[in-house]
Amino acid sequence: MTTESVSFTVNDSERTTEVTGSETLLDTLRERMGLRGTKEGCLEGECGACTVLLDDRPIDSCIYPTAACAGRAVRTVEGVGEVDAPSLLQQAMVRCGGVQCGFCTPGFVMSLTALLEREANPDREAIQNAISGNICRCTGYTQIVEAVEAVLVESGRANTAQGATS
Amino acid sequence: MAIVVAESREQAQAAADAILLDIEEWEGITLERAAKGDARVIHPEWAKYVPTFGVDHPVSDNCACEVTAEPEGVDEAFARAAHIVEGTYSAQRQYRAYLEPKAATATYEHGRFVITTASQYPFNVRDRIAQLLAVRPSDVRVVGKTIGGGFGAKLDGWVEPLAALAAKVTGRTVSIRTSRAEDMLTCPTRDNATMTIRTALDAEGRMIGREFSCDMDNGAYSGEMPRLASLPLSIIGSVYKMHGPMRASVRLWYTNTAPTGAFRAVNGVYLYMAQEQHMDEIADLLGVDRREYRLRHLFTDGEKSRTGQVFEDASILRTAFDKLEEHAPWQEVLDGLKPNRGVGIAAGVWMTNPMPGEVTIKMYEDGTASLITAANDNGSGAVSMGLTQIVASALGMNEGDVRSSLPDTDVSGYDGGSRGGRTTAIVGTAALEASIRVRDKLLAVAAGLLEASPEDIELIDGHARVKGAPSSAVPLAAVAATATFTTGSISATSSYTSPPIPFDAGCASGALFTTMSTPTYHVHLAVVEVDEVTGHVEVVRYIVVQETGKVINPVGARGQVRGGVVQGIGYSLYESMRIGDDARLVERSLESYRLPLAVDVPEVEIIFMEHPDPLTGHGAKGLGEAPVVLTAAVISTAVRHATGKSFTAIPITPEDVLFALVDAESDS
Ligand code: FES
Ligand code: FES
Repeated sequence: MTTESVSFTVNDSERTTEVTGSETLLDTLRERMGLRGTKEGCLEGECGACTVLLDDRPIDSCIYPTAACAGRAVRTVEGVGEVDAPSLLQQAMVRCGGVQCGFCTPGFVMSLTALLEREANPDREAIQNAISGNICRCTGYTQIVEAVEAVLVESGRANTAQGATS
Repeated sequence: MAIVVAESREQAQAAADAILLDIEEWEGITLERAAKGDARVIHPEWAKYVPTFGVDHPVSDNCACEVTAEPEGVDEAFARAAHIVEGTYSAQRQYRAYLEPKAATATYEHGRFVITTASQYPFNVRDRIAQLLAVRPSDVRVVGKTIGGGFGAKLDGWVEPLAALAAKVTGRTVSIRTSRAEDMLTCPTRDNATMTIRTALDAEGRMIGREFSCDMDNGAYSGEMPRLASLPLSIIGSVYKMHGPMRASVRLWYTNTAPTGAFRAVNGVYLYMAQEQHMDEIADLLGVDRREYRLRHLFTDGEKSRTGQVFEDASILRTAFDKLEEHAPWQEVLDGLKPNRGVGIAAGVWMTNPMPGEVTIKMYEDGTASLITAANDNGSGAVSMGLTQIVASALGMNEGDVRSSLPDTDVSGYDGGSRGGRTTAIVGTAALEASIRVRDKLLAVAAGLLEASPEDIELIDGHARVKGAPSSAVPLAAVAATATFTTGSISATSSYTSPPIPFDAGCASGALFTTMSTPTYHVHLAVVEVDEVTGHVEVVRYIVVQETGKVINPVGARGQVRGGVVQGIGYSLYESMRIGDDARLVERSLESYRLPLAVDVPEVEIIFMEHPDPLTGHGAKGLGEAPVVLTAAVISTAVRHATGKSFTAIPITPEDVLFALVDAESDS
């Protein structure tokens, strides 16, 4: 099988990898780079379990060709926080019960990390829209939304203008 | 069946593509066809089959289980009825759609299978592999992994026996990971069913007789389904009291479709849907307010259900209605409805699965403890949050110092599986008992170290301390280490199962169980808005009043309720594993199988009524299943209220609503 060499950053480190023509970013991350935090739920762009950030925007890595990442910046859940030092959002997800089985969680964390970087004080609707490409079968979503609201309060952003960009 | 084993997904796919299947096509037999009773017999050898549950439940031709009740006086009741109300209700299949498709890894070495799998019920998987591969259960070791959602789908073996067989044949470690499409095709779904309820009413509006029938789809092979055919009998008639007999006939049919199976709250969702729609129809016919009619028919404490179970605390249901009334007065809700909105109200009783569970608690010499059990977190946190919390508080330890391990059938005692809301209640009781025994051992050793009597010592903040003398204390690490090197390391094992409940053995024939263990009581209310242009139904308000026993972890408890309600919203309005005319499943991907999203869900208002169970440790009762039970009941009755049209088939899709509205227009 013919392969090509692709270079991009993953969680801020430069990576160069050989990929086959149609290889997805999900396979490259999980199988070639051993980054197993990004999950596979459907392989058809429906569930959002495989969400990563590409140049700060959430994408479904299961349908995204790695070849198209050349020169760009990929971020995965491994780059968001450490087990001993989770991000504010990750802490709030656990505390508010936004995690049950946890399989969807990395995808939600990526979509919501992007939202929190993009908007200073998103309202409930904006939060719900930001995760409209992520399926969670366990939590019923409310406690995930509450986790984001808890982060806004904690980081002093809840009183800023809603809808403004940070 | 053929299995392809290869070194990569691509290789396996290519090999599978190279296989040519020559299939002789037979007529597809769906539930509708099977229930007529004259279809081709799917298993001509049925009479030779080993009954699924050891006891010989009635089976014949395509009927995989039949449960009937034939009390006297039904025909007489109908003969003297002032009114008769009859309704037929149906529900489609629901796919569990856990986010992690099924997977398993197997090895076979020295005559033993070792299977690693994210199973809700490792001992069941062990026994299934042993059964299918004709080996002893002890020849199989099942090691659990964290579960990416299950909702009942990961209770039985499916990928595991295949992996085990392949490992034995190849002599290699074999992994199976299903794709989403494979998972959808092979995962037993919540069963589809059709029910008819016919009730005779006297001039005062009392229910003096009833006929009830229920046809359930078993699919081509049976797992737990024959057992579930007993449940309709308990449910229809356990919430609202009748003043007369009920004739019942429940039939579970073999069809040549993909098998069905137990999904969170099993058939309760559609049975309550049918019962509550029927109650609304009766109340409307009589011109009585729907809530009022329900209140008139509640049981009181100590009354017997139709199956002879005494409901000691039945009046909790009335209190639940009162709580709902305080929170959202019925008349105010009705008066405040905007155009195109409707409200539904429903009540139910649910149970806690009584299967046994076992816990071992082992102290380490660093003062931490490990909790060893085959009970597992199926997303509920019942083990990693609930059980560890129970142990930590009994032993005066920090929560982080009690760690639960993953199941291992070689190490853990038997456990009845993560299901039926049983883990916190049943396994929590075993955990509490084992903790008490560990505490006694710690106190005995600490007594020697502190030169005090055990009764005067308390366990607090990771220390054993003389009561009232905080400076007289030793760390648990020292206590545990001392024990290890003197009397022996400290551990204790306990198991628990709920006691059996007396019932009336003559209430039905063919029933495999007829009681609701550790019942809990529930009232739900939903307000929906129907979009006349698109047919879309939005749930705008949802209230849950749930009797819970003692709530151990409030955040987790609320999460269970919200998650359950949202699965129920999906069930009621979007989710449908359709079966085509050819008896094959239509849905093959999450693109056409519509799941609820964050934008679809209302804020669920939750009122817990704590009512500790006298038997279980800390008084916990089942909590995680019940929230889904009444969803289709309240949503379907609310849509009926909003539109003035009955929607007796679940899910109620936008097309159904539009058709009904167009019909209504052409009528007027
Ligand atoms: S795995 Fe990519 S969207 Fe589901
Ligand atoms: S926590 Fe299980 S799917 Fe979201």
